[in-house]
Amino acid sequence: MIARIACLCLAVAIADPAQAQEIRIPVLVPLTGILALEGTSQRNGALLAISHPPEGVRAHAEVADTGAAPELAVTALEKALDPGTPVAVVASMFGPQILAMLPIGAERKVPLITISGSVAVTEQNNPYVFRFFPSDRVVKLAQARYVVETLKKTRPAIVYQTTSYGQGGMKVLEAEFTRLGAKPVFSEGVDVSVKDLLPVLTRARQAGPDVLVLQLHAPATALIIRQAAGMGLGLPIVSGSAIGQPATAALLEPKELAGVCAESASSPISGGSPALETFVGDYRQTFHAEPDAYALAQYDGTEMMLAAVKSGAATPEAMRQALASMSYDGLAMTYKSDGHGNMAHSAVILCYDGASRVPRIIQRYDNLDASM
Amino acid sequence: MLTILQLALNGLALGAAYALVALGFVLVLNATGAVNFAQGDLVMAGGYAAAALATALPVPGLALLPIVMGAMALLGIAVSALAYFPLMRRPATAVFVSTIAIGLVLQNAALSLFGPEPRTAPPIWDSEPIRWGGLTLSHQALAVIAVAALLVCGQGWLLARTRLGRSLRATAQDREMAAALGIPIHAMVALSFALAAALAGAAGALLANQFFVTPTAGGALILKAYIAVVIGGWGSLAGAVMGALLVGLFETVVAAEVSYTAASALLYAALLLILLVRPQGLFGEAAGRRA
Repeated sequence: MIARIACLCLAVAIADPAQAQEIRIPVLVPLTGILALEGTSQRNGALLAISHPPEGVRAHAEVADTGAAPELAVTALEKALDPGTPVAVVASMFGPQILAMLPIGAERKVPLITISGSVAVTEQNNPYVFRFFPSDRVVKLAQARYVVETLKKTRPAIVYQTTSYGQGGMKVLEAEFTRLGAKPVFSEGVDVSVKDLLPVLTRARQAGPDVLVLQLHAPATALIIRQAAGMGLGLPIVSGSAIGQPATAALLEPKELAGVCAESASSPISGGSPALETFVGDYRQTFHAEPDAYALAQYDGTEMMLAAVKSGAATPEAMRQALASMSYDGLAMTYKSDGHGNMAHSAVILCYDGASRVPRIIQRYDNLDASM
Repeated sequence: MLTILQLALNGLALGAAYALVALGFVLVLNATGAVNFAQGDLVMAGGYAAAALATALPVPGLALLPIVMGAMALLGIAVSALAYFPLMRRPATAVFVSTIAIGLVLQNAALSLFGPEPRTAPPIWDSEPIRWGGLTLSHQALAVIAVAALLVCGQGWLLARTRLGRSLRATAQDREMAAALGIPIHAMVALSFALAAALAGAAGALLANQFFVTPTAGGALILKAYIAVVIGGWGSLAGAVMGALLVGLFETVVAAEVSYTAASALLYAALLLILLVRPQGLFGEAAGRRA
């Protein structure tokens, strides 16, 4: 796999020497640590886009692992900016890392393209950040509205992770449920080191909820769904995006997934268009893995950046202006900045039918952030 | 009442798996006088070994367990050769650092070989859980308790009843004297690493079915083993087992009554109380020294 990815980078670099423009794209993502699964998807999405540049554009990727610490991401960014500032940087999706990278991006005036969901990322008045994944404010709104407006549930129990991802999403969920008149009857944070989730399920059941809402990382999401099925919890489960990742769903039997729904930006393996199916095929062939929403979001973001290069954005400042003003029809959705760098404004709800591990998109929410 | 029984069963299963980790931790501690910080990552390696073997050999987890333990024992010997023997005459802190480094190598090796996706190992045996009244008796939970109890008893028998065990204990208690008596102390230390890694491998295979395994899963386990060993008594094998069971019960029964955060706080409070009232731990200090 490593050799294949190295070859992909090289192949991109020597694609066509006759072409005029060549750009260097640092891809600084977490390939180890707590977000390795999602970071690998982010890298793969970027690499796949860079391997298919628009005609007349030549690009090569420089991949660096940002691990799990903000200082590693900062070091990787400073290294990537020396010598010479690239036209843009694919920056870590891990909230604490991208937040640490933002001041450097602004200081060096280089656009940072990310798929982090953390709300705070685009609230720093930093004109150099562009987020191609809907923020927690969008996807959590979709999750809460699906629970209340579609499922007609009014007594949610929320289980969330005590990480920045978990707590950030929990705040948005709690506020939106309360606004919708469905104040949570139970909520509890779970550390990532906790193994058995039966205790929190037991306590949640005692509170008398009518739906279980999850904001957990991938292993905990799979585990709690399995344990809920095992104890016969008998409540609908509406999860965060983790269970929409094929690698997470693969941990469970289809019958354990029956009736489980999740918010996400997209679900590439669910299909939808010939272009999306081509993306899924290319991804499987290149990486021998199933693409998830993160891979598709980063693919779309990188494709938009390459389209901007093709239309003449040859410098970081020109790229910033292009990304801030362009609209781009990606495979997952249409991307357009809201003036703060939020490019993605749609979310979907996907559900499993209990017969397979491929979810079906059952609801789509567009321009949710415009309604806030 | 049924809920408490259910939680207690889960807690015992979790504690039994932690006990295997803690036992291995104590074995190396007693043999070398140093803490093996790679023990948690060895558990992770055992989980991946079981998951990988299951794809090649579609047999029940029980049949895979001896293979996993054998492979892990060899890995344990390799760990001793890389992380302990070159530094055995250095201060114990050097071994701490080298075992941390080995742990990082294992994490990155797992990431390179298996990718970042969580994996699951096969169940010890595959069948529907037993439903009795409102109680769900998971075969896996019962099997974890049974296998761990067997391994703990086997370990106790080996150390107490065999010549090899007496040599291991002699090496742990006084290495110079053991060497003077003709006991091959280097072989005994390597064997301690092998046994510790085999137990870690068994714990990894047992835990990875219920709780999955990821490259970074070992970090939390070493902390739990450390707490178990401090509660039970630094160097005490029986204490490590009791400490691990206590940690497992706090994580399930107590957490269900209060919350995970409160249960963790109570566990650490109990730990501090034990250190205050009985610094040698519940089962005293059998051998070794605090490192």
